[in-house]
Amino acid sequence: MKLNDQAQNLGFRVGVIQVLAFILLAILGVRLYYLQIVKGEYYSEKAENQRIRFIPIPAPRGAIFDRNGKLLVDSRPIYNVTLSNEPIKRIDVSDRIEDYMRGLNVDRQFLIERLNFIKKQPEFETLVLKENATIQDIVWVESHNSEYPELRIELQPQRFYPHGKMMAHVLGYVGEISPKQLEKPEVKEKGFRPGDIVGKGGLEQYYDEFLRGRPGHRKVVVDSRGRVQNEIEVVPPQAGQDLISTIDLDLQIAAEEQLANSVTKRGTIISMDPNNGEILVMASAPSFDPNTFVTRSTTPEGRKEISGYYTNEQRPLLNRAIQGRYHPGSTWKIPESVAALQQGAITVARSNIVCGGGITIGNKHTRCMGNHGSPALPYAITKSCDGYYYRLALKMGIEGLIKMVEEFEYDKPTGVDLPNEKATRTPKYWKPYVEKREGKWSDIRTVFASIGQDTVEATPISMLRAVSVVGVEGKMFVPHLLKEFKPVSAIGEEAEPNFIPERASFGFSHAEPKIIEMTPQQNKLVLEGMWGVVNAGGTAARLKMANFEIAGKTGTAQVAALGKDVGKNKDHSWFVSFAPAYKPEIAIIALIENSGFGASHAVPAVKGVYDAYLLKNHPNILEGQQIAKK
Amino acid sequence: MVAIIEKRNFRDFDWLVALLAVAIVCFGVWQIYNAQPETTYWSKQITGLFIALVALIVVATSDYRRIIDAAPFFYGIGLILLILVLVPGIGMRINGQQAWIKLPLVGQFQPSEFVKIPVVLMLAKYFGSRKAGTLRLKEVIVGVGILAVPLALIMFEPDAGQAMTYFPILAVVLFLSAVKIRYVALTIVAGLIFVPLAYYIGVETGKIKGYQQERIKVILDPEAADPRGYGYHTVQSMITVGKGSLTGIKGDTDNSQSVLKFLPEPHTDFIFAVTAENTGFVGCISLLLAYALLLSRLVAGAKQAGDRAGMLVIMAIVGSLTFQIFINVGMTLGFLPVIGVPLPLMSAGLSAVLSTFIAIGFVISIKMRRFVN
Repeated sequence: MKLNDQAQNLGFRVGVIQVLAFILLAILGVRLYYLQIVKGEYYSEKAENQRIRFIPIPAPRGAIFDRNGKLLVDSRPIYNVTLSNEPIKRIDVSDRIEDYMRGLNVDRQFLIERLNFIKKQPEFETLVLKENATIQDIVWVESHNSEYPELRIELQPQRFYPHGKMMAHVLGYVGEISPKQLEKPEVKEKGFRPGDIVGKGGLEQYYDEFLRGRPGHRKVVVDSRGRVQNEIEVVPPQAGQDLISTIDLDLQIAAEEQLANSVTKRGTIISMDPNNGEILVMASAPSFDPNTFVTRSTTPEGRKEISGYYTNEQRPLLNRAIQGRYHPGSTWKIPESVAALQQGAITVARSNIVCGGGITIGNKHTRCMGNHGSPALPYAITKSCDGYYYRLALKMGIEGLIKMVEEFEYDKPTGVDLPNEKATRTPKYWKPYVEKREGKWSDIRTVFASIGQDTVEATPISMLRAVSVVGVEGKMFVPHLLKEFKPVSAIGEEAEPNFIPERASFGFSHAEPKIIEMTPQQNKLVLEGMWGVVNAGGTAARLKMANFEIAGKTGTAQVAALGKDVGKNKDHSWFVSFAPAYKPEIAIIALIENSGFGASHAVPAVKGVYDAYLLKNHPNILEGQQIAKK
Repeated sequence: MVAIIEKRNFRDFDWLVALLAVAIVCFGVWQIYNAQPETTYWSKQITGLFIALVALIVVATSDYRRIIDAAPFFYGIGLILLILVLVPGIGMRINGQQAWIKLPLVGQFQPSEFVKIPVVLMLAKYFGSRKAGTLRLKEVIVGVGILAVPLALIMFEPDAGQAMTYFPILAVVLFLSAVKIRYVALTIVAGLIFVPLAYYIGVETGKIKGYQQERIKVILDPEAADPRGYGYHTVQSMITVGKGSLTGIKGDTDNSQSVLKFLPEPHTDFIFAVTAENTGFVGCISLLLAYALLLSRLVAGAKQAGDRAGMLVIMAIVGSLTFQIFINVGMTLGFLPVIGVPLPLMSAGLSAVLSTFIAIGFVISIKMRRFVN
């Protein structure tokens, strides 16, 4: 057949079809060029991103032990329900809130926050949706696998506080890093990611950097449903360093018992080795259970419990030892006596000042608890003569008191290794405010300040630190809780890209103690007074023990009007001490809130801790006590 | 049967076309293996190739004119098959389409693939015997009728993708049967207006389903596709193709898009994406050139055809193949919506390979007998 012969130009039409076919194939070729050559790298990366996953391997956090190696904080493995962003990034998940709530018993408000938060994160992020998943939770998640591919069950370590409420303020707790914290540049710099567990409060927070390990990861290939197909790389995690604290668990237990059995069950007991500042006991009541924050922060019940901690009027989250500020009352007289000797307001040879049963400033009479004649310093301390100190303070002047504040570093925090320590407030702090409001600093305020009232509000830790000085020849140490961090070995070889160097052991970096200058005679004079408080018929005479001489000072912090029982606004009761008086091994301070006169509540609390100390370290002395009593 | 072929005819056997077709199928077998290395699709395809090759030789060595004469008979058988497939118990339902008949030994087979051939023959018989001169309305109506009956049956399955591949057959036959150029132009203009209009009306009235809309929307904005929705097939296909870059992934088959199941239907509808990932731009362009060469050989055969009917058969096959290649690859490259049309000679499936080889057998037969007149 000769197509050219056709009237209808058939050859041309066949040609048209052929050209059309080539054009279509050419279009495909051009598109191929665009996808493979022009955008090849872009799509390669996309393919890579959708199949490579980094699954973090959480690093075990360092445990915390007491000074004798008894366990205080540990981690244990638990199952968590986690929520990953990738499957839900682009879809509306508001309809899932109800399902999650019913399926997992998770708080609604928490769910809303969680989903909103994760949607703002990059695709690969994963957050914990529920900790401590129960068997029911696990079954629910697994059976809804295809419906909610974003949910997974993961085995993760969880912080465990075996002693519950005991020393909760010292240990603190852990929790997810807050979105607010994450926004800080210095936090971002360290590579923190949403969902990271960090210390909150206490040693957990202060030493977070060392307790926290370095997480490892698994680099895996996943299929389109996110199921792991094979593993490309594993970088093992480096565990955090174990912390040996200075706490003595046995003494801590004794102190906690004393607080629990006190009248108001509110207060604090601190014990310290005056020779180096190691804190043996730090108890604050009421307390909280750190496990609540760690294990139940996602359930409605747990969240209610936690918000209760914040709204409770008794303030269980407050570490009274370092954050509570109380009028120190007569315990203030000890540093004041040292300062008076330093400044020459009194001398060793002539330290007598008239008591006078009180003092009259202008037309206002401020009384002393008794009439002590014209006592020397030791007797004034032993009997806690207020009249003596009214006149002493007037002699020193407010400048002398401020000098004392500076000498004993009451104008700054003690530097204890815990976060959010409060500084004591003294006339040095208040003077500018008073002068601004009242025009001048009147003598009556100096008089009140002399007995630790009015403008003096001290933290218990600062009182213990200052008073201990008398026992150790003026050496004032920084109180601290860290004894030692244990070393952790390196991960991998030095040349490898994922090498993590070892972490060395280290202890608390002691600064040289501040020396409070005293002559031995001056020191002896003050010490004699403190010895007398317990051993010479002083305000804490009931604490007297055979073969174990305690030096101390009672104090009563005026809450409403001094010495008046006004129901729940009763005075705070103080007792600060160390023993043995002339070669102290241990210093203890107790404060019982709103319990009344110092001697009657704080003194027995301190005694309970001394008993525990003796039982442990000098059992023969304690036996001697019982024989002596009989 | 070989004995009856005259020596001269045997010399005119178009070895190149046959070899090209076999080569493309072999290349396809490799890609099917790449797509699903742990299944037997690739070995089944080799079996299919041998069956198809036998069919090709049988058809090529028979006299196409006698077959065209018998077109109404084959057409009738085709219609019966299309009805049978709709009968519950005989037809098999896969992915919501009742398009397969299960046969012992052979496995399943897809009538809608084969019925194309009787339709081509029927159209060639009708339009090949007409006298020269401008096409009349009555002839057009008959042509449409020949196409409409099997199409209606296919839409009952329903298999819109297969149905679409029938249109170019009629279009080519009418175009080559002296339809006036102005009607051609008119049809194109009307198409440009009515297709978007029909889509709009379809969306408004709900006749076009949500997933179909999604497949079209993703073409316009692939980045906005829901990763769990229908549009994602297109996105994954584009990623797979793009990832191939110049020369394809080398060795890393464990992590290929199809093995990790990111790419759906990798051995059938998306076989070209697998080819792109494994052999890159070089492999894809080579394949497209092979198709171009095959199509040109067919067109050359059409130009030399001994009669008008033979020419129409070849060109209808050319039209159908071109259309399928364009629709399938266009879908893979993300500028056409996802429609279940296999890539000729590449996609796994006995029916598709067999019907394409039978069609090519016709072409060879027609070329061999070009001087008989």
